[in-house]
Amino acid sequence: MSQMITIGLNGQQQLLPTGSAVSDLLSIIGSDGKSVAVVVNEQIIRPEKRPAHLLQEGDQVELLIFAGGG
Amino acid sequence: MDVLQLGSYTFSSRLILGTGKFSNATIMLQAVRASGAQLVTVALRRFNREQAEDDLFGPLSAIEGITLMPNTSGASTAAEAIRAAHIARELSGSPFIKVEIHPNPQHLMPDPIETYEASRILAKEGFLVMPYITADPVLAKRLEEVGCVSVMPLGSAIGSGQGVATAAMIDIIIRESGIPVIVDAGLRSPSEAAHAMEMGCGAVLVNSAVAAAGNPPEMAEAFAEAVAAGRKAFKAGLMQKSGSAIATSPLTAFLGANG
Repeated sequence: MSQMITIGLNGQQQLLPTGSAVSDLLSIIGSDGKSVAVVVNEQIIRPEKRPAHLLQEGDQVELLIFAGGG
Repeated sequence: MDVLQLGSYTFSSRLILGTGKFSNATIMLQAVRASGAQLVTVALRRFNREQAEDDLFGPLSAIEGITLMPNTSGASTAAEAIRAAHIARELSGSPFIKVEIHPNPQHLMPDPIETYEASRILAKEGFLVMPYITADPVLAKRLEEVGCVSVMPLGSAIGSGQGVATAAMIDIIIRESGIPVIVDAGLRSPSEAAHAMEMGCGAVLVNSAVAAAGNPPEMAEAFAEAVAAGRKAFKAGLMQKSGSAIATSPLTAFLGANG
């Protein structure tokens, strides 16, 4: 069994296989990633950087979308 | 052609529509289409895999001629608003940002100091900044000076439906302003939107009045008509007010005249 890491995902703990990239995280949670902004430790990760950006133990990830607002 | 100029962008519609508080996304999208709005506000929210249908980016982007204006709602400091603006631009690809910083959820009044600071920095970074502010002519002028493309003073508290309670102050802001003044918040009826436009506002921003209407798409259309009528009236030039009656018919007494 592969090793796991724990990250913070929108304020909650999430287990991921070691070596997961941001794009892997998006597939795991069922997002196509097109309309989601990804922020890792306060840094915006653009779509083209997501396959290469590996997540580390303790990373704080925020996934944001557009919802209704005035 | 009479267009709303915001930075390098021009819009033929002077109605900006918010997308919050609608009972569902289908009704919201119908209202957006019915309103003819070309500038539509959205808010940032955390992704929730159980509520994937809440994501409005796809459906709104599919409507032709729509430019998104994300807001920074949820921010209570300039730093938070700037961070939200960066994330929002990443998602929307739009240079527009509605700077909205209201630290107190009880009254939702915008913080003028944090709003000024965030607007100043974001304008310098190249955003087309539209700050939501109290109806303060001094603040409005200062925001124009730091490069905002419009100012958006509140008519009354967000979602209150109390109309343009700040009309006297908004009148001063319009007189002094070199950028479009957009009444944002508090409107309830199309007649209030028409009034704001007759005063010389560049546009109005409406959300609750449409979202909480019995029939949101119909109300969106009514607002669009009222905004267009108000703008036409402003361009046509309203008559002067007078303290006394001025007759429209000849007052020569011919009926009772002695033959």
